[in-house]
Amino acid sequence: MNPPTDPDRRTDHPTGHRAGRRTDHRTDHPGRAAMTTTAEEQLQRPPAEVRYAEELAALRADDRDHRPPGWELSLRAARRFIVGDEAAGIARKFVGDPALVERALVTLATNRGLLLVGEPGTAKSLLSELIAAAVSGTSRLTVQGGAATTEDQIKYSWNYALLVSEGPSTRSLVPAPMLRGMAEGRVVRFEEITRCPLEVQDSLLSLLSERVVAIPELDGPEGMVFAKQGFNVIATANTRDRGVNEMSSALKRRFNFETVFPIPDLDTELALVEAESGHLLRRSGVTAAPDRDLLEVLVTAFRELRAAEGGDRPSAVMSTAEAVSVAHAVGLRGWYLRGEPGNAADLVSSLAGTAAKDSPEDLARLRRYLEQRVPRRRGAHWQAVHDARHLLAG
Amino acid sequence: MPAVFLGVRHHSPACARLVADTVRRLRPAYVLVEGPADLNGRLDELALGHDLPIAVFSHYRDAERTATTWAPLCDYSPEWVALREGRAVGAEVLFVDLPSWHPAFELRANRYADAEARYAEATARLCERFGTGSVDALWDGLFEVAPADGLAERLDAYFDLVRGDAEADEGDRAREAYMADWVRAVLAEAGTATVLVVTGGFHTPALRTLAGRPAEVPGRPALPAPPPGAVSGSYLVPYSFRQLDAFAGYQSGMPSPAYYQRLWEGGPEAAADRLRRSVVARLRRRRHPVSTADLVAAAALTGGLAALRGHAVPSRTDVLDGLAGALVKDDLTQPLPWSERAPLAPGSHPVVVEMVAAASGGRTGRLHPDTPAPPLVHDAGARLAAIGATGTRPLTCDLTIADGLAASRTLHRLRVLGVPGRHRTAGPAHGADPVTGERWEAESESGRDAALIEAGAYGATLDEAAATVLAERARTTGSADAGLADLLFDTVLCGATALTDRLLTTLTATVARHPDPGALGAVLATALGLWRHDRVYGTARSPLLAAVLDGAVSRILWLVEGAHGRSGADPARLTALAAVRDALRHAPEQLTATRADTAALALRIARDPYAPADLRGAAHGLHLTLDVAALDAAALDVAALDAAGNLDSLGDWLAGLFALAREEVTADSGDGSLLAVLDAVLADLTDAEFLIALPALRQAFAWFPPRERERIARRLIERRGLRGSGRGLLRTTADPLHLAAARALEENVTALLDRHGLRSAR
Repeated sequence: MNPPTDPDRRTDHPTGHRAGRRTDHRTDHPGRAAMTTTAEEQLQRPPAEVRYAEELAALRADDRDHRPPGWELSLRAARRFIVGDEAAGIARKFVGDPALVERALVTLATNRGLLLVGEPGTAKSLLSELIAAAVSGTSRLTVQGGAATTEDQIKYSWNYALLVSEGPSTRSLVPAPMLRGMAEGRVVRFEEITRCPLEVQDSLLSLLSERVVAIPELDGPEGMVFAKQGFNVIATANTRDRGVNEMSSALKRRFNFETVFPIPDLDTELALVEAESGHLLRRSGVTAAPDRDLLEVLVTAFRELRAAEGGDRPSAVMSTAEAVSVAHAVGLRGWYLRGEPGNAADLVSSLAGTAAKDSPEDLARLRRYLEQRVPRRRGAHWQAVHDARHLLAG
Repeated sequence: MPAVFLGVRHHSPACARLVADTVRRLRPAYVLVEGPADLNGRLDELALGHDLPIAVFSHYRDAERTATTWAPLCDYSPEWVALREGRAVGAEVLFVDLPSWHPAFELRANRYADAEARYAEATARLCERFGTGSVDALWDGLFEVAPADGLAERLDAYFDLVRGDAEADEGDRAREAYMADWVRAVLAEAGTATVLVVTGGFHTPALRTLAGRPAEVPGRPALPAPPPGAVSGSYLVPYSFRQLDAFAGYQSGMPSPAYYQRLWEGGPEAAADRLRRSVVARLRRRRHPVSTADLVAAAALTGGLAALRGHAVPSRTDVLDGLAGALVKDDLTQPLPWSERAPLAPGSHPVVVEMVAAASGGRTGRLHPDTPAPPLVHDAGARLAAIGATGTRPLTCDLTIADGLAASRTLHRLRVLGVPGRHRTAGPAHGADPVTGERWEAESESGRDAALIEAGAYGATLDEAAATVLAERARTTGSADAGLADLLFDTVLCGATALTDRLLTTLTATVARHPDPGALGAVLATALGLWRHDRVYGTARSPLLAAVLDGAVSRILWLVEGAHGRSGADPARLTALAAVRDALRHAPEQLTATRADTAALALRIARDPYAPADLRGAAHGLHLTLDVAALDAAALDVAALDAAGNLDSLGDWLAGLFALAREEVTADSGDGSLLAVLDAVLADLTDAEFLIALPALRQAFAWFPPRERERIARRLIERRGLRGSGRGLLRTTADPLHLAAARALEENVTALLDRHGLRSAR
């Protein structure tokens, strides 16, 4: 879909970030820019800097405050972009504590790495995407951590055809996101850092403290890539994975930790679930709006299960995102099976698959909740959910 | 001349400074302060020269309700400064608010809580307008660390925004009307002299409007009198920063008193610096590494945050946020407590705990020696004299007679209040202890008065103060096993008859989140016993125990359905289920859980392959005893055989069954009865299998007293059509070692005969 702009540098690099490169080249080829924009509109989920391009442009135009070196926006403008500013027509994009956003931005401005920790589904990745888009104008320099992540996916690798024919040179070098972020002075996102092997994590050490990457294969000044102003790292880590405890303390020291929490109050979360699931349902061709009372049951149940202590707490993630997907499933069932909004029976049927996944313990916890807690609640919808409890599969 | 209205936030150093400046500048003839008007005759007591913080403690009791309210005062309270400075310039200082017993203060423990916190939409509006997460952070930025010029105007604008068009609730309306009456009356008296009115800023806009209206009744407003038969009073008690910081939710005022004390004394830079130092000192004392690099990072973060938030000088949250960002190297389990008005939750990160403690401080106030002692001191003295516990003579109390019980209660109340003087050397140790006498020895009485004055903050009478302390203990009792049962028994011993709602709700809340079914079972059994039979302490059918019964039953049922995995038989949780069965039998009308619900739940557990064997057995037994619809024999067979198929769990399963349904198991021995099924299962075991199952089987049968074991033996003999005594089957006359040796010899001989083919075919 996307013709290579630089055929000689095209590789099969797994994190080759063609999309990122395309942005860079857009300025060089204005003719193609129009074409790629149309293509982007058809994307399932364009990156933040594309989705909110107008807001970013407006903020940049109005920005009167000092910008940290290498930043696209001042701290205040970046904060307004993320937290929202109703008066200026900037939508609120991250529902959470504004102080957290402030700490995160200041951390990045002080040249320490930022590590966002939290339960899955607490919008850590969204936050890191928004911050990168606000600070560097691009959120596409991303390393996706995983068990198979290697150092050359972080720093650089080679186009082996060129390497063999011409020897090591900047032409045959394929920079990975970290190297590009350093060379261009941009924020690099490192998703799920704790899922990487420890030795791969530790390859960030020198990069974060010395702010330089050595490329021993290249001679002369090209053998050292120094980080430009504006380079920094936002990592995210999941408390359900191996967790941050296993990170080396040397690496921990180079990051400031920010824990992202689930949305603290019911009304905000309910509104978010209602809006997001409504959006998803419309995209799925469902015209019936979700039943608000039923959504309230769903969100309340998720919050109670999430807040449970010790062994009562499901191992599955009872996140807002998960609630949205249950609400979506409920709406789909109701609409396509009967042509009406989803009801309590749909909710119970959807819970097993989406919320309990394949864990029999979670299913038991859910069943116990339906049996013992739900009947204590007042209201027709709670009663209906209780009556439908036998539909919980498994 | 119109009155000068000064709207303040309680416990705000910036407002306190503004009050001091205003009083010195205007030299008013009258200073009207938001404070209980019933104290107006006793303002000299406040000026005695106490070490702050202190509090005006007010109590009230009538037939329907009891209430206790504190009005804490510290060096930087605007009300305190108004009182002090007003008297210094020779003004008449008057408290103009309703007395604390007034229903307007119902459910309010802190008179000087922030009014706006009760109006959530006002708070939300403010935060949204300024884009901050909490009002406290917003307030600090706008007022505490901002330059002082234009403070009064900014305060007016702020409180106009807070009040907005919010309709005050009934209590606030009554208070505003009363305060406006005072303002009008004093204005009429003052003529051309200046009148300064210092009240919470939330009330100022309303007071301005109300005070402009003509007075309905001329003269100073009368002090409302409490209804006939009610007991009420106000007095001074020493207070502490810890207590000041402990109000939660909408009761809270400004947090972190030590920080604001420092801010009051030395300004925001000094306060920020001191806070940082004190956090680092505390952490290093606890051997938590704090490197210089961390401190540089924290300082950089704090500076950056202050700049981003538009603070000329770092505020409290800037410093705390900076330190947290640089020092916390783990994921947190709770949001940072200063980002929302939440008390520190158990399991908070140690760095966060130290930070909160450093900001909160440990200062405690002391009253001037001439301060009239709080009524608790007199009450305690009178009660001790009444029971004759004044000398060094040991005291014995017979709990079965009214006087002895009253004496015991007095002494126990003093004990839970931590007042020295007497300690108990003999008496009942728990609710089911059949001891009805107590002995109390005298010990050193030094520190008793100090302890009583301190405890005076909890209530006006021993009874009330003990109930308050017990409620506080209930709140802090976490998962400590013994804590809950002890607490319940202490409540009974103290005869907390003037049961405060607070004690009731905290105790039930503690029960509702207790993690251990065994401990809950102990509490439930004790509570049930007392609720049914207690004549000694007079707690039979008491609502407190009923609430505990219901809470414990629900919680145990919740916990047992959630227990999964393999483990040996746990007698504690089996006893807990037995206690549930008893509660369902003897106090069903007190429980939310019905027999039918519980039976259905028992069936679910009994059939749950993931439930531990002992619980499955117990659930089986519970279902049998509830007798809703008898399990059919086939279902029973399946369950028993299923358990038997797994030799490790057979004994555990039986232990559970026997713990709950002894009577049902031994009742019947016909074909298809439980006993018959078990007999068949056991008879089918090979010797090796039997040996594996034996220890758990022994444990299971230990639930039967000897007499019932004999009955089982008799039934088994009958079943096989044999004759003999059941007792004989249970006892051996020979030494078990001999029997084992004989058995081994016999096996050897059989094996030898088999080897040589000498044994006849069987």
